[in-house]
This record gives sequence, C-alpha cells and structure tokens, in this order.
Amino acid sequence: MHRQKYRLIIPFLAPALILYGTFVLYPYIQAMYIAFTSWKGLRKAPRFVGLDNFQKLLSDDHFWNALYHNAIYVITLPILTLGLALFLAFMITQKVRFSSFYRVTFFFPQVMSVVAIGILWSFVYHPSIGILNSFLKLIGIGNPPVWLGDPHTALGAIAAVTVWQAAGFYMVIFMAGMQSIPSSYYEAAALDGAKRGDIFFKITLPLLWETTRSALVFIVINAMNMFGITFTMTIGEAGPDLSTDVLSTLLYREAFTHSRFGYSTAIAMAYFIIVMFLSFVLMRLTRRQTIEF
Amino acid sequence: MIKKPLSRRQFLKLAAAAGAGASLGRFAPGLAYAQSGIQVADGALNPFNISNVQAEGVFFSGGFGHEYIQYAADIFGEIHPGSTMSVEGIQRVGERLRPRIISGDAPDVIDNSGAGNLDTAALVAEGELLDLAPLMNAPALDTPGKTFAETLFPGSQASGLFDGVQRYVNIAFTVFGLWNSKTLFEEKGWVYPATWDEMLALSETIKSAGIAPFTYQGKYPQYMIFGVLEPMVEKLGGVEVWKAVDNLQDGAWENPAILTALNNMKALYDNGYIMDGTEGLTHTESQAEWLQNKAAFIPCGTWLENEMRTVTPEGFDMVINPVPADDAAKLSWIDASSGEPFMVFANGKNPEAGMELLRCLLSKESAKWFAQNVGSIMPVVGGAEGVELSSAMTSALAAVSNAGDHILERPSFSTWYSDINEEAKNSMGALLTGRATAEEFIERVQGVADDVKADPDITKYERS
Repeated sequence: MHRQKYRLIIPFLAPALILYGTFVLYPYIQAMYIAFTSWKGLRKAPRFVGLDNFQKLLSDDHFWNALYHNAIYVITLPILTLGLALFLAFMITQKVRFSSFYRVTFFFPQVMSVVAIGILWSFVYHPSIGILNSFLKLIGIGNPPVWLGDPHTALGAIAAVTVWQAAGFYMVIFMAGMQSIPSSYYEAAALDGAKRGDIFFKITLPLLWETTRSALVFIVINAMNMFGITFTMTIGEAGPDLSTDVLSTLLYREAFTHSRFGYSTAIAMAYFIIVMFLSFVLMRLTRRQTIEF
Repeated sequence: MIKKPLSRRQFLKLAAAAGAGASLGRFAPGLAYAQSGIQVADGALNPFNISNVQAEGVFFSGGFGHEYIQYAADIFGEIHPGSTMSVEGIQRVGERLRPRIISGDAPDVIDNSGAGNLDTAALVAEGELLDLAPLMNAPALDTPGKTFAETLFPGSQASGLFDGVQRYVNIAFTVFGLWNSKTLFEEKGWVYPATWDEMLALSETIKSAGIAPFTYQGKYPQYMIFGVLEPMVEKLGGVEVWKAVDNLQDGAWENPAILTALNNMKALYDNGYIMDGTEGLTHTESQAEWLQNKAAFIPCGTWLENEMRTVTPEGFDMVINPVPADDAAKLSWIDASSGEPFMVFANGKNPEAGMELLRCLLSKESAKWFAQNVGSIMPVVGGAEGVELSSAMTSALAAVSNAGDHILERPSFSTWYSDINEEAKNSMGALLTGRATAEEFIERVQGVADDVKADPDITKYERS
C-alpha cells in the first residue's frame, strides 16, 4: 500500500524538486563557496582565501554604515507601516462611506512596480518642480530640504515611500483577518457599551495576533532588503555620501562596481544569516497561545 | 542581429568597380566602394587577413545611438565580401555581457560605456582584453601612407594605455570644460573670466542678476571632479600632481595644488553661488535647469549637446570654455581627451575581425558620417572636413586650437581604482554642500588611496 503511494508521489514531486535544486539550492551552495574566495567575476577561477572576506567585513566602515541603515528601517518600518495598516483596516471595516473606494486606493501602490514608484517619488521630491516642495513653499516654508540630496533627510524620504507603498498591502491582510472575527463578539461588546478603542484593543488586536505575526516577519525581511527603492531613487549611488546605503545596495556595488564578487558574496552571507536570525527571534518572541474561534 | 550577406545589387556594383581596377576577381588597391563611398588606401585593404568571418559585436547604445557602428559594419562587409560583422545595441553592458564572458563566449568587439558597464580595470587585470598593438600599427583604412595610430588625435588614446599596452580605443573626441549660453552672456554683457578670482567676481554679478552662477550634475558629483577639479589642479600644480595620485605615491592628495583647487571650489558653496536644490537633481535634470537659464555655468563634456538636444531652447547657443585657475595666461589650457572605449576580447573567436571593425569605425569616411549624423566628432584627423558643425562643437574645436600644445592630460585614478573614484565622488558631494572642508576631502580620499595601495588584491598600474 505504502509503496504504491510513493510510486505516485515521486514522479509528481520530482520536476519541482529538480528545478528547485538546480536554480535555488545549487546557486546557494556555490555562493557559499565564492564567499571564501577572492573572485573578480570574470573567467579566471576563484582563489580560495579562507575567512579573509569575513575578517574584512568586520572592519569595513561601509558594511557597518549599511547595516546601521538597515537597522533603522527594521525598527521604524514595522511600527509605521503596520500601525498605519491596522488603523486603516479598522476604520474601513467600521463601515465608513466609500470604504471599497478607499480599499482600492490604498492597495493601489502595491500593484505598481518598485521602479515606477521610485521614479514617481523622485519627481515628488524634486527640489524645484516637485509637488512636495512646491506645497511647502506655498504654505510659507521658504527653504524646504532637498529631500534626496541631503544625507539627513534622504533615508527618511525613502522610508516614507516604503510606508506609503506597503501600508495598503498589510491593510488588506488585516482586513481579511478582521472579517474572519465573528461579529457576535463585537455585538456583545457593543451591548456592554464598549467604545471603539476598547473594541480595537481588546477584541480585534488579540484575535489578529497570528496575522500580525506573519506581517511583522514579512516587513522585517523587506526592511532588510530595500534594494529596488534605494537603487531607483538614488540611482545606484546610494544617496548623498552613502547615506541611504543598505546591505543589498552595498553588495551590489562591491560586485559590479568594484569587481569584488567574493567579498560581495560574503556580505550576502552575513545578510542571509542576519535575516534568518531576525525572523527566528521574531517568531519566538511573538509566540502566544492561539485563540481559536 | 543584423547580418548582411552580399546582395546581388551590391555584388554588381562591386563587380563594376572591380572591372575598372587592375584585374578581375581581386580587389585593386586604392579602390572606391560604391555603397559607403569609402576610398581604401593602397595596401590598406586587409592587414588582418579577414576572409569568410562571421563576427559579432555588442555595443552600448546611448546618446550616440548605434547606427554609426552599423555604418562601420557595413564598410566592413563591403570591403570584405563574404565576411560580416553583426551589430547589436544594448544598455547596461556589464549585466548583459558578464555571464557570456564567464562562460568563455564573449563577443568579438564591444563598446563598454554607459551606466552599469564592465569594470575596465578588472578586465585588464584578468587578461580579458586584447593588446591592440597590431591595430595601432596597421595601415589606416582611408588615409594613405599613415598607420591607424597616426590618424588619431594625439593624446586621444592615452586613457586606453595600461602599463604602456593599448587595451581599448576611444572613438568619441571629447572636450571638457564649463558651459554657458552665449546668448545669455551677450545679452547681459558678461565676459568669460580669465582667472578664478574673476570667476568669483562674475558669479557675484550673476547672482545679483537673479540667476544662480553654478549648477552641477547633483547626484553625480564626479562631474565637478573631471569638469573642474582635474583641469584646475593641473593648471595650478602641473601634470606631476596627478601622476603622483595615479601612481599612488604617499600623500599625493595632500599636494597644495589640490588643496587650493578644492578651496576655490568650496568658495562656490560658501558664497551661495550654487543653484538651490542642485544636490537633489540627476545629471539630465540639472542640465535641463541650466538650459532654462536658472544657472549660468555647468561643467560637462561635449556629449552635453547631443544629450540635451530635444530640450534645448531655440537660440540658446551653448559654448564651452576652459576652467580658469590662478594665471590668466593658462586660461586656454583645456582638457580634451576622448571617450567611448571600444575593446576586443583576447580570447574571442575573431579578435582580428574585432580590430578590423575598429579600423573601419575610425576611418575618415566613418568619422564624417558620425559628425554629420550624430553631431559629434571622432578623434580622427580630417574626420570633420567639410561638415557643418553646431555652435557647441565649433566652440569646442576653437577652444582646442586656442590651447595649442597645452592639452591637459586627464588622470587615470578613476578608471584604475574604483574605490578612490567612489570616495572622491562622495567627498566632492560633501564639499559642495558644505558638509566637508577641503582638508576633510583630502583626508578621506588620501585614506582610501592608502588602503588601495596596501590591498594586494587590487592590481596596480603605473604611468609616467
């Protein structure tokens, strides 16, 4: 009986496993080797250098600079994005007028490509013809910041775009979670005279915990990446004086500008380990007893 | 991929031409070709013994497009019946070609330009590029009695030399300097300054007229390095300053000429002479602002005109001038070199065909086509004869002839050492926005230069 089952399962699984092995696992293993070599990304075979690349990593200011920016994103993006998404989701599910219009509008940035968003927002931030600075000048701010040209504002400017882009997506996820909460809880609470705030913090949020957990992991992984938006908004130059450089843009530059593929892959390995570690810690920290309903 | 076998019509034309020559079945020397109109010099037809080669070229297609390369490939096909050179125009050359190079399947000839191109220093260090000595010594295609090298502008190929070996050839003649609108300056009665002090005085006048004296390519501060810093340092301290930098001599960046030049440039920021918001703009955005007379000067090379052609207002009349320094007598000294590097792969299938394409591309006939249709100049002697040029190109050529023997040599550190290039670029952005002093700029860049010198993994080059 069992044998027959496997006879059926294996042929079905094989193509997927072979493709996964060839195009995902094999490159991973190869990358792990390259991280221990000095390779210029050309035809000459990689030269094994042991732990040199990782040693260099620890004393490389550019690496710590990029990691610091990632850390800022990891702390701010989840709070801002998920906070906004929860707020919007809660408001819209409270049967406000035009709620379906709002839902589509807020979700819209999610279906746009990152490159389009980057270019669009570069124009919003444009110092002379941009809508943002034109507005600021209109309300009397004579010398608004050059958002993408000033190291003090460039990182925040990119973070704001990411919040704008991602909030709608998490809003839809939260709305789906909220709609699966039985309305009897809300009705009972309303009968007891609970206010909107109480309903949100005492019913909605606890029952949404599982959704929030996965959303948190998603957004933290995104905050560790940030390649597309950084690359398009600062045109591959990582902002004024590397002020928007993150690990992903650093490793890209190390490989393609400086021809240090070995070192770049070592950064990628460190990046991989950090993301794994963060996801693991987050899942651990947020583990609660699941409430079934 | 465009492959052009000899059509029947072409064949008839060729045959007719051949019939007028000495013997049938063999092309006579000094022969005119009907399709391209090229007149091949005596004994210059086939120095690389091309026969029945199907070669492949992949080229950056940017501001110049790639039709001018197709024109050269047509010459190639016409003078070598049975052989072809395919022409493909692409962007982001590095990302497209790297996999092919790694797998040993590189095209025969490429144009490694534009954003996302291949790191030339690494290509040289890894032995990927052909030594072009045979090409340089080959007879020029349509200039009788001269070698290929002798038909090119003196100094135009210097940047392609790595330890004395020619690794690539530049096909676009480029003059670097400060640009302004001739019309605006005539209207306001402003005269281009002869020294940097006069430049600052003029800037004050321009500023009080409600125009920002300067802008630059904001997110790409390197334009202020090759556009202003490099020529100014060379005028202040001589070519030895940059030689020391290129050769990674200890403390090379601490030279007083570099310090003075950086302080001169910082004065632009300190006096508020740089257009507000410049640092947030891309190269084309800042150039567009300049074209609307929001700023008076911008640094750039001669590709500027072609790059901005569609948005240049009628009657703007852009002209280029050399960067002023301390001595008015040195004003005319100008940075004129060449760019758009074409390379042949050492391990390609048809390296000879690659070199032959470059011989066709830098022929007089092709240079004329380029001047006429692209509006730029190839570094080929006599290549712009009888072609009507724009005010931009005319001013560039006038600047070069004013300079006489004083053509400045551009330093090579930016090509040789990408780390120094990056640090200099970032520090220049900081200097021009008041976040760094000249001393801090020097400290940062010298620090990276020291690191590069100490790094055994970075291949070093020498120039003299």
